[in-house]
Amino acid sequence: MTGEEGTKGEESVTAVFVALKLSLLRNGLRQSPVRRTTYITTLVLVSVFAAFQFLALVVLRGNAHAASVTVLLLAAMALGWAFMPLFFPSGDETLDPTRLVMFPLRPRPLVRALLVASLVGVGPLFTLSLLAGSAIALAHGAAAFVVSLAAVPLALLVCVALARAVAAANIRLLSSRRGRDLALLSGLVVGIGAQLANFGMQQLGSAGLGELDPVADVLAWVPPASALGAVHSVSEGEYGAGLAQFALSAAALVLLLGVWSRTLTRLMTSPDGSTLQAAEPAGKRERRSGGLARLLPDGRTGTVMERSLRYTWRDPKTKAAWATSLVIGLLVPVFNVLKGTGSVYFACFAAGMLGVQMYNQFGQDSSAFWLVAMTISSTRDARAELRGRALAILLISLPYTVLVVVVTTALLHDWAGLPKALGLSLALLGAMLAAGTWSSARFPYSIPQEGYRNVAPGQSGLATAAIFGGMIGAVLLCAPVIALTIWLSVEAGGDRWSWLLPPVGAGYGALLVYLGLRLSAPQTARRLPEILAAVSKG
Amino acid sequence: MVDGVAVRVQGLWKQFGDQVAVAGIDLELPAGKFVGLVGPNGAGKTTTLSMVTGLLRPDHGTVEIAGHDVWRDPVGVKARIGVLPEGLRLFERLSGRELLAYSGRLRGLPGAEVDKRAGQLLDVLDLAGAQHKLVVDYSTGMRKKIGLAAALLHNPEVLFLDEPFEGVDPVSAQIIRGVLERYTTSGATVVFSSHVMELVESLCDWVAVMAAGRIRAHGPLAEVRGEASSLQEAFLELVGAGGRDHGSHLDWLGGGAR
Repeated sequence: MTGEEGTKGEESVTAVFVALKLSLLRNGLRQSPVRRTTYITTLVLVSVFAAFQFLALVVLRGNAHAASVTVLLLAAMALGWAFMPLFFPSGDETLDPTRLVMFPLRPRPLVRALLVASLVGVGPLFTLSLLAGSAIALAHGAAAFVVSLAAVPLALLVCVALARAVAAANIRLLSSRRGRDLALLSGLVVGIGAQLANFGMQQLGSAGLGELDPVADVLAWVPPASALGAVHSVSEGEYGAGLAQFALSAAALVLLLGVWSRTLTRLMTSPDGSTLQAAEPAGKRERRSGGLARLLPDGRTGTVMERSLRYTWRDPKTKAAWATSLVIGLLVPVFNVLKGTGSVYFACFAAGMLGVQMYNQFGQDSSAFWLVAMTISSTRDARAELRGRALAILLISLPYTVLVVVVTTALLHDWAGLPKALGLSLALLGAMLAAGTWSSARFPYSIPQEGYRNVAPGQSGLATAAIFGGMIGAVLLCAPVIALTIWLSVEAGGDRWSWLLPPVGAGYGALLVYLGLRLSAPQTARRLPEILAAVSKG
Repeated sequence: MVDGVAVRVQGLWKQFGDQVAVAGIDLELPAGKFVGLVGPNGAGKTTTLSMVTGLLRPDHGTVEIAGHDVWRDPVGVKARIGVLPEGLRLFERLSGRELLAYSGRLRGLPGAEVDKRAGQLLDVLDLAGAQHKLVVDYSTGMRKKIGLAAALLHNPEVLFLDEPFEGVDPVSAQIIRGVLERYTTSGATVVFSSHVMELVESLCDWVAVMAAGRIRAHGPLAEVRGEASSLQEAFLELVGAGGRDHGSHLDWLGGGAR
């Protein structure tokens, strides 16, 4: 084969991959109007956002902190590129080298083709607008503009190559069950990350952009942000530093492409062992009922508690729900304290968030509920089943609720408010568990096991009614304790009696849980087939 | 067992919207036998078994198992039956052993006894090596076997299995078969559904043929088979699919490319 023919062949491979990517995109859109609408809406929103970001960056030109802001933005963007493929592994079929195994492709043209094909899409477009805006904001002088002409594509390629290399390195993991579990948890990371970012932005708004400079000084030497760092350095006349920063990014690109190419070759020449890999460690690790099991009560209650607690850790959806509740339950009161809008009563948020776990208990079992249904033959069985589930939740949520109340109080130094917040929290936790028990028996709905949705099609009305109705109901159930708290707060000398509130709240909460179990158990025992039918959809 | 009848079904009816899934079934299944419920896909086998085991509420009709009404006397029924449904999940984030420990204890058996029986069942079903693996990582055959173990754990009088051999490899199928044969010789009843006639013919003493929500024939295997050379042939005759020959429409098929 002559060199010329070789180039021609490679070009056609690249063209085929770009065409493939475009047809996959087109066919995906053709599948359903909903998908088309979603895609177009996303595209419009992203374009508008990209345009505004571009303008904002252009306006930033000349600002003292322009370098810090652009470098940080690009670093955050690169982080996003690195993690996206882990969170959305099925997002791009051209990503999956295992689909290409049967074709006679050489690594070098394949990597080039895949790289070019990955430049087609909304993500690269958005990144490009960010980079172009940053370059305009930073570049002063002809030399700097010339550097940015090379730096912008370089940074973009580093981002894309980073995503591909990370995805290829993890494809074995991503195609296994463990990988899919991991992907389900990713929503959580994004959610909590957004909370933290939001809080960070608000802090910045008050403290000024100067805070960013030290971090940005370091990041300006880390690829791909160092490409923008190079533009800045050249603008400042520091040609040596600029050259070094540019070289760093270029070296990173070469390194990433090398790693990617090697991983691809290995993937395409060795058999797929994803299931073996996923299964083996689990087989070797002994799963024993640890010391905890011995502390749980005897009989059905303990058995159910043990299973619920295992699921809290092992089932990705349950784990994600718990982690969200735990983190948000703590973050909301603490952030409000830090923002200066705090009140000790925000601590009740934790009780509310954790109590939600009791809702739709049987939906969490999905169609495996038949195993439970086969063993419930009386109201007593149903009561033990529900009691076990409520106790498993209490085992985590009760200490955590107390902890959040104490932490919030300590941050506020509002020790006088502690008994009131604690009493209210405990009553609310009890009320949430009681309402959750009742709605679990009365309004079960299924939770699809795959994907991010938590409601099966056609049941979202039911789910919303069950959760919001239950929450409002829980707050109403708490009314006596709320009234007592208010009365003790406004009545002269009432604070002397506020130590009464924790025991009253706890006792009232326990009473509600007891009544909830008594009311719901007969419902559950009577409606087993109906519950099974409701939770087996989807 | 009351008068040798394990399961008595009367006027069983189930409708989903306009679709009648089970259109009035009357059936008495003999105790101590290997009973096969056969029929094409969509005949209503799963719906019938779900109603018989109390997992689906019928529109009309009654079901008695060992003399106990399924809907009025669940305490009497649920302790006496074991079920392996088709198309329903297990608690897949438990390991095989944990699943058995969990379901045995839910049925109120003492913990030590559950663990002893679970160990033996895992050995016999050749799952001992995978007992600490999560069920979610099991193959189809392993799932059927762990489901069977969970259904047998409390030593039920009547065992209901919905398509127990569907998607199961020959080795696992032979193991399941061995366990079931041992179980019926002790006087227990197995009721299982299948659309694989050869399997039913080689395993069952008694069959009920179902099509379009009704029982077309039932009785001892030889009686249902009648004059026909195999159950397969008798079955095709019964459901009105016998003698269909579309071969001539595909005369281009085979014999090299042309």
